[in-house]
Amino acid sequence: MPFNFTNLGVPIWFLVKILFLFGIAVYLIFSAVVIKQVRIMAQTIEIPLAAALQALALTHFLFALAIFLLALLFL
Amino acid sequence: MPDIYKAKPSEAKPAADLDEPMEQPIHSAGMFSAYARHPDNIHFENQEPGEQIELFLRRHPVTNLGWLTIAAGMLVAPLILRVFPIIDFLPARFQLVAILIWYLLNAAVILEGLLDWLFNVYIVTNKRVIDVDFRSLIYKEVSDANLDRIQDVTFSVGGVAGTLFNFGNVVIQTAGTAPNFDFVAVPKPDEVARRLQELRTGEKSAI
Repeated sequence: MPFNFTNLGVPIWFLVKILFLFGIAVYLIFSAVVIKQVRIMAQTIEIPLAAALQALALTHFLFALAIFLLALLFL
Repeated sequence: MPDIYKAKPSEAKPAADLDEPMEQPIHSAGMFSAYARHPDNIHFENQEPGEQIELFLRRHPVTNLGWLTIAAGMLVAPLILRVFPIIDFLPARFQLVAILIWYLLNAAVILEGLLDWLFNVYIVTNKRVIDVDFRSLIYKEVSDANLDRIQDVTFSVGGVAGTLFNFGNVVIQTAGTAPNFDFVAVPKPDEVARRLQELRTGEKSAI
C-alpha cells in the first residue's frame, strides 16, 4: 500500500489548517507591533503623514485579523 | 562730465540693512519630502523652545527602488500561478487563504519599507544635529550633538544613481565622546555640508 498520511489516520488538512492559523497568528502579533511602532515613531517625529500612517497600520492589523477569522471558520 | 548712470533714490539700499540677518523663509515640507529647509510643519520629541529646524533630511527617494521593486514583484506574483499552478495540490479554499497570506506579506514589505524611509531622518536645528534611527521593529536610537561640538563636515557623492540624482553621504565628526553622524544618501549633500559649516561658524563666532 503506498504511503499516505490518511492511511495513518492523520487528518492532513486539519494539520495544514493549524499551520496556516499559526502563521497568521504570528503575523497578527507582528501587525500589532507595527501599530505600536508607528505610534512611537509619530511621537518622536511629527510629520504630515503620521495620522495617515497610523490609520494604515490599523487597517493592516484589521486585514490580518479578517484573514485569521476566515482561515479559522472556512478552512 | 555728464553722468552715464544715476541711481534712483529708491534703488539705493541703506548700508545698515545689508548687515542685518536675512529673514529665513518658512516652508511646509511635502509629505514625501527628502530635503526641506525651515519646515514649519515638522516637530520632534525634546524640541527646545526657540529651537528651529534648519534642515530636515531623509534618504533620497530613489533609494526606495529596491523594496518597491520587490513589493511590485510580489504584487503580480500570484498571476504566475495561472501559468505554473504550483499550489494546485491544495483545495480551493486553502489556495485562497494562501494567496491572502502572500498579500499580507506583501503589505508587510510595503509598510516596513515606507516606515523605514519616512521615520529614519536627520534633523539640523539652529542648536544641534539629530539623527533618528528606527531599526527593525522595536529598536529606536536618537543621537544628537550641539553645533559647537562639530569639528569637521565632509560629503561624498558616488555611484551612478548618486551622480544622476545628486545624493550622497555627509559625515559629521564631533569632538569628544559625542557620536559621529553619518547622513546616508541625503539629497544635495554639498548644500547640506555648506549649511552645516555656516551654522557651525555662526555658533562658534557667537561664543
